[in-house]
Amino acid sequence: MGAIFRDPVLFATVLGANLPFFTMAVILIFTRHNPRLSSQLSVGSIAVSAVCAISLLAKLFFAPALQYQTLWFVSGKLNIVFGYYLDPLSLLMLTIVGIIACLVQIYSLGYMAGDPGYSRYYAFQSLFAWAMMNMVIAGSMLQLFIFWEMVGLASYFLIGFYYEKWSASQAGKKAFVMNRVGDVGFFLGLILLLLGFGNLGIPELNHAASTHGLSQGLLTASALLIFCGVIGKSAQFPLLTWLPDAMEGPTPVSALLHSATMVAAGVYMFSRIFPFFSGSHDAMQFALVIGTVTMLLSSSMAMVTYDLKQVWAYSTVSQLGYMVMALASGGYFAGVFHLTTHAGFKALLFLCSGIFIHEFHTNDMRIIGKQGGRKLKIPMVCITVGALALAGVFPFSGFFSKEAILSVLAAQPNKIWFAAGLFGAVLTAYYSFRLIFHILLPMGGIEEKHHHDDHGGSSHEHEEEHHGYIFWAMAIPVMILAGVSLVLGFAEHPLEHFIMRSVNVPGELAAHGGAALQTVAHVAAEGAGHAHESGSPMLLILGVSAGLLGIFVAWLEYGRKGASRKGFLSHVPAIWKLFDLRWFMDVFYRKGLDTFMYAGLTSLFTLNDRRIIDGGIDGICIFTEGSGRLFSFLQSGMLQFNLLLMVLCAGAAVLYFVI
Amino acid sequence: MNSLSTYLIISALLFSLGLLGILQRRNLIGMLISVELLLNAANLNFMAYNRFLAPDPVVGQVITLFVMGLAAAEAAIGLSIILALYRKMHSINIEAAQKMKG
Repeated sequence: MGAIFRDPVLFATVLGANLPFFTMAVILIFTRHNPRLSSQLSVGSIAVSAVCAISLLAKLFFAPALQYQTLWFVSGKLNIVFGYYLDPLSLLMLTIVGIIACLVQIYSLGYMAGDPGYSRYYAFQSLFAWAMMNMVIAGSMLQLFIFWEMVGLASYFLIGFYYEKWSASQAGKKAFVMNRVGDVGFFLGLILLLLGFGNLGIPELNHAASTHGLSQGLLTASALLIFCGVIGKSAQFPLLTWLPDAMEGPTPVSALLHSATMVAAGVYMFSRIFPFFSGSHDAMQFALVIGTVTMLLSSSMAMVTYDLKQVWAYSTVSQLGYMVMALASGGYFAGVFHLTTHAGFKALLFLCSGIFIHEFHTNDMRIIGKQGGRKLKIPMVCITVGALALAGVFPFSGFFSKEAILSVLAAQPNKIWFAAGLFGAVLTAYYSFRLIFHILLPMGGIEEKHHHDDHGGSSHEHEEEHHGYIFWAMAIPVMILAGVSLVLGFAEHPLEHFIMRSVNVPGELAAHGGAALQTVAHVAAEGAGHAHESGSPMLLILGVSAGLLGIFVAWLEYGRKGASRKGFLSHVPAIWKLFDLRWFMDVFYRKGLDTFMYAGLTSLFTLNDRRIIDGGIDGICIFTEGSGRLFSFLQSGMLQFNLLLMVLCAGAAVLYFVI
Repeated sequence: MNSLSTYLIISALLFSLGLLGILQRRNLIGMLISVELLLNAANLNFMAYNRFLAPDPVVGQVITLFVMGLAAAEAAIGLSIILALYRKMHSINIEAAQKMKG
């Protein structure tokens, strides 16, 4: 215990990662009826966590990977440890989580103001931050899995935050159940590893996979199973429909969910044990296919919806697909870097959308545009910055990370992945600018809503005056994030150096056998090499022109004067419907549930319950009662008849024994 | 006249009378009295055997005393049960008390 206070690094880790949990407990137990105090506590503690994370990053920027661990339990030859693993990847992610969670909580001061569940909201936000931070710095896969589930739990609470709304509680349930489907695979993978390898420590696992300490069959099987967890958490192809529904939660929750926590957890886990995954070629190919399918499917869905948050939700899914593609094709840094930049600009996009939604009380981009969305200058500028970053336009952060991913994909022998990546980039730019143009240049101009808007320019000042504290609580985090999106891209090379160092110079791990990490280093160097290739003009031109092409198409259809503002897809209603209904995936799941689960399994279980369990207990009752009834005939009520029988029997016995 | 068999015959007669009473009386008090007859027949047996076969240890007499105490207790309990039954049913006829028959 004393070691925590003696070692400043450990102290900062423990404090930063666990303070939000105590905040949650305090809020739920003591300050639930004082929303103001609850929010201050929560924001204060997450700010401390963010400061701890940043100082850890600064302090350990040049240090080798650190590992703290203590034996948790021992069973036979099995040692389960509990500890923290601080390497560049976890430090980077810890910082992202801390900062984004902090900004989102500050933003929520404005967005959630006056909500009856204000304290509850902050308690769950703290829980979410705690779970995610602990997941990030977990030292073993089992520990990671525990906090992974905690993250799922917290997101269930927050998605279903407006639990009195039917659709919200359903969405929470859907997210929870779909995640469980993936997690079953994850857990089976872990058990398989535990049986086959006997150790779940992250460094050990990565080390063993890269030195062929694991048999190829075991490696592939467990990697595929663990990847199921990524599919569930990061909303990859078969399980992607929970994420758009998760928009039922409050908008800041969506921002947090989509950028730094929940869905990022899947990709983070993938990159966490990246050397392990890269030991299995088949698993990587599988992941690449899944990532590509996800990316294209969800981009197509984003092209037809009019719901502001839905667009960003689909775009998150598709960007996650990008990250999985990058990681699966060996671009360790490209994937992690896109995760980082994406966290920034996706939080920005959601928070900006939240301001619009808060102001206009609708999610429909057409109505927001008509009612004068562009008059809110700060969010309008910021959302444009975010969309530019998402579309991958220079000099915004998305440009750099998308280039990195494209260059990794271009290095693949099969060019189809690269083509898919480029096509996805066009779609991304198209749907994000479709939204921007809808708000910025609404059809038929702006309809005047407030009567005082007639007095010319005074309306804008009036609105800001009207909101004051609430508006600025939301605007400041947004502006900070916009700034981050603007400059983060230029930090590519220092970040790359920082991240790749953990793989090239394994630091403490070198003690385990430095030469053995050659394979990892090789894979990593491959990715790094491609990243350097991004200087190749051909690739750069292709990448940039993909983004610009998308924006141009969007402008043709939605931006320019006299544009139809319908989109080319509306000419083919069948495709529109296909995209709008999410490729009928929900319908398919519904059918599957109805026919297989409800009609098949559930009715069988019901039958078992009614007939076998209930019937068995009823049978015991009937037997007992019946036998009781049978013997009660002996009790005839004729006392002297009974006595006579007794005497006769006794007499007969005497006669038998005497004679 | 003064032999063991005389006492045994008297005791057997007494027992038979008691048994007859207990089997055919419908009155509960009558049945209770018959039970006393049974007990006394047994007592008479004990005393006779004690007197003629094993005079030195007075085990037979002691047992007889015990049985008499027992009979007193039994009479007390039996009578109170009969009293309670009478309060409930206004009758001490054995055939009235068959509510719990199967």
